[in-house]
Amino acid sequence: MEGKVRIGFYALTSCYGCQLQLAMMDEILQLLPHAEIVCWFMLERDSYEDEPVDIAFIEGSVSTGEEVELVKKIRENAKIVVAVGSCAVHGGVQSWEKDKSLEELWKTVYGDGKVKFEPKLAEPVENYIKVDYRIYGCPPEKKDFLYALGTFLVGSWPEDIDYPVCVECRLKGHPCVLIEKGEPCLGPITRAGCDARCPGFGVACIGCRGAIGYDVAWFDSLARTFKEKGISKEDILQRMKMFNAHNPKLEEMVEKIFQGVEE
Amino acid sequence: MKNLYLPITVDHIARVEGKGGVEIVVGDDGVKEVRLNIIEGPRFFEAITVGKKLDEALAVYPRICSFCSAAHKLTAVEAAEKAIGFTPREEIQALREVLYIGDMIESHALHLYLLVLPDYLGYSNPLKMVDEYKKEIGIALDLKNLGSWMMDELGARAIHQENVVLGGFGKLPDKATLETMKKRLSEALPKAEYTFELFSKLEQYEEVEGPIIHMAVKPRGDVYGIYGDYIKVSDGFEFPVEDYKKHIVEKVVEHSFAKHSFYKGEKPFMVGALPRLVNNAETLYGRARELYESHRDLLRPTNPFANNLAQALELVYFIEHGIDLIDEALAKWPIAPRDRVEVKDGFGVSSTEAPRGIVTYALEVKNGRVAYADIITPTAYNFAMMEVHVRMMAEKHYNDDPERLKYLTEMVVRAYDPCISCSVHVARL
Repeated sequence: MEGKVRIGFYALTSCYGCQLQLAMMDEILQLLPHAEIVCWFMLERDSYEDEPVDIAFIEGSVSTGEEVELVKKIRENAKIVVAVGSCAVHGGVQSWEKDKSLEELWKTVYGDGKVKFEPKLAEPVENYIKVDYRIYGCPPEKKDFLYALGTFLVGSWPEDIDYPVCVECRLKGHPCVLIEKGEPCLGPITRAGCDARCPGFGVACIGCRGAIGYDVAWFDSLARTFKEKGISKEDILQRMKMFNAHNPKLEEMVEKIFQGVEE
Repeated sequence: MKNLYLPITVDHIARVEGKGGVEIVVGDDGVKEVRLNIIEGPRFFEAITVGKKLDEALAVYPRICSFCSAAHKLTAVEAAEKAIGFTPREEIQALREVLYIGDMIESHALHLYLLVLPDYLGYSNPLKMVDEYKKEIGIALDLKNLGSWMMDELGARAIHQENVVLGGFGKLPDKATLETMKKRLSEALPKAEYTFELFSKLEQYEEVEGPIIHMAVKPRGDVYGIYGDYIKVSDGFEFPVEDYKKHIVEKVVEHSFAKHSFYKGEKPFMVGALPRLVNNAETLYGRARELYESHRDLLRPTNPFANNLAQALELVYFIEHGIDLIDEALAKWPIAPRDRVEVKDGFGVSSTEAPRGIVTYALEVKNGRVAYADIITPTAYNFAMMEVHVRMMAEKHYNDDPERLKYLTEMVVRAYDPCISCSVHVARL
């Protein structure tokens, strides 16, 4: 890309963790000479949501009528749209009960109270506009940002990771929390890139980077292990829904994992 | 009807976490209405975690807010452990507080230097300050990095810490890492003192001076800190954290996805660093105690802008307190990272001091699952009071240039350090 790259960072409904992760990177100071920040409300008071940009980073899930309009406007104004983080890519943890009705959830939390804005059930950005690239994670790793920004700035295109967390975990030599502790670790079916961060601390993977969609997961052996450990298909499905509720291949993948395995 | 309505709005307040706006309606005889519009969408955290496995719900709760994910994690875990009848060992509790302090240091440093200071120095964006304020930005990054690193080591990462589990931690850092942590904390102390000195020189706007009801957790063991079992109110009243619903009511307001909280039915109140100091200063020790005594005139309970300076004072305090807590854990070295817990049925409430004030979790556990969840976040506690102070500022400046009015009212909001995302999951009535 020539000249200064015009960048917008837009927030929908989220915990703001993806932006915080980016804001906390000292490396961002090195980016500044090459970029012009057009919109980034978390840091920049002079932010404009409706100006043209080269790269639009969007974090958060579409959760209000106003946000539907906002994402359409961003798409019109941007050359490249990047969905950042689990909320923008898969609807986020707030989609965990996506099959319940908005009315039911609203009543549980707000009772009969009314608010003048239009609430919606959380959805991924892609349900409304075309997304060109995805940065996974809750939150994404710093190196995910560096890789994406770096490749964009040299005029290239970042590639998806097509292997699971298990690969990184084995390479690191961590004890297996699934096999050795019997915990419902989602490492075998979750997109890598975190260096098996959680299993490295002895904590089972919760799948925050989303399910890997390339049919490369270790389905057969995994199914046997889940069954041997007494972990049910329903429990795995519920666990995968935490960060993957809108993943269109979710149930298919769980079916495949448990194929031929009698519960 | 002769009223001329002149709405002055900030659609999206910058340099806060989450999406909110200010709307001021002015008539010919003054300010008619002041509203903090909270436009961040609802996320229904209580509703979506009911019926879910306890450990999975505990992984989701921190996602309410990234700026204080450690606060959410640790408070939710304490409520869950109270519910199932488990008390962590003292050394585990000390290390959890060190993790919490990592969050406190990072959050205060980010708020003060990146969100507040640009207003005072006339910048729209902290990154633009790099050339002229090298030292300040350097200190901001050093303190931020220290806090993040503490959370990496004890929480597995700086945002959404998965390393805190029922019964303790997944894994603990080794002794050498904790020694390094002490060293890095000591080295950061002069930077925190510089921050306090810097913020002690900034203006506190007298337009918003007035009586404030302050609420804070009464620290356990009478040592200024994060955990406690009682809530202390500046009117002298105290109540056990379990009784929060008897003394605080939440109301749905039309212009906000976040509810407003009131004490004794109708009184707005403030939570945060300033209320902690107002209620608990006698439990401070060390250098922070000295700074508090010598700067009491600036740490006025009557001005929300003093919250900024109170945060700077806490940077000094929590650095020293963190060192002491690490020593406490090291004295019992080697320590097992976690105890086996039995997930029994029960109900537990925890209120702790997040960087921006009290956060409350009430959890009921049945058959290993969450049966009931109620969460009130610091910003949800603060909204009603914040609106009062924005109104006071607007009433003094509604005749000024609208840009100046916007700027001043945004500064009031920023002094509260609101986490708007955090407020918008909203608790059950």
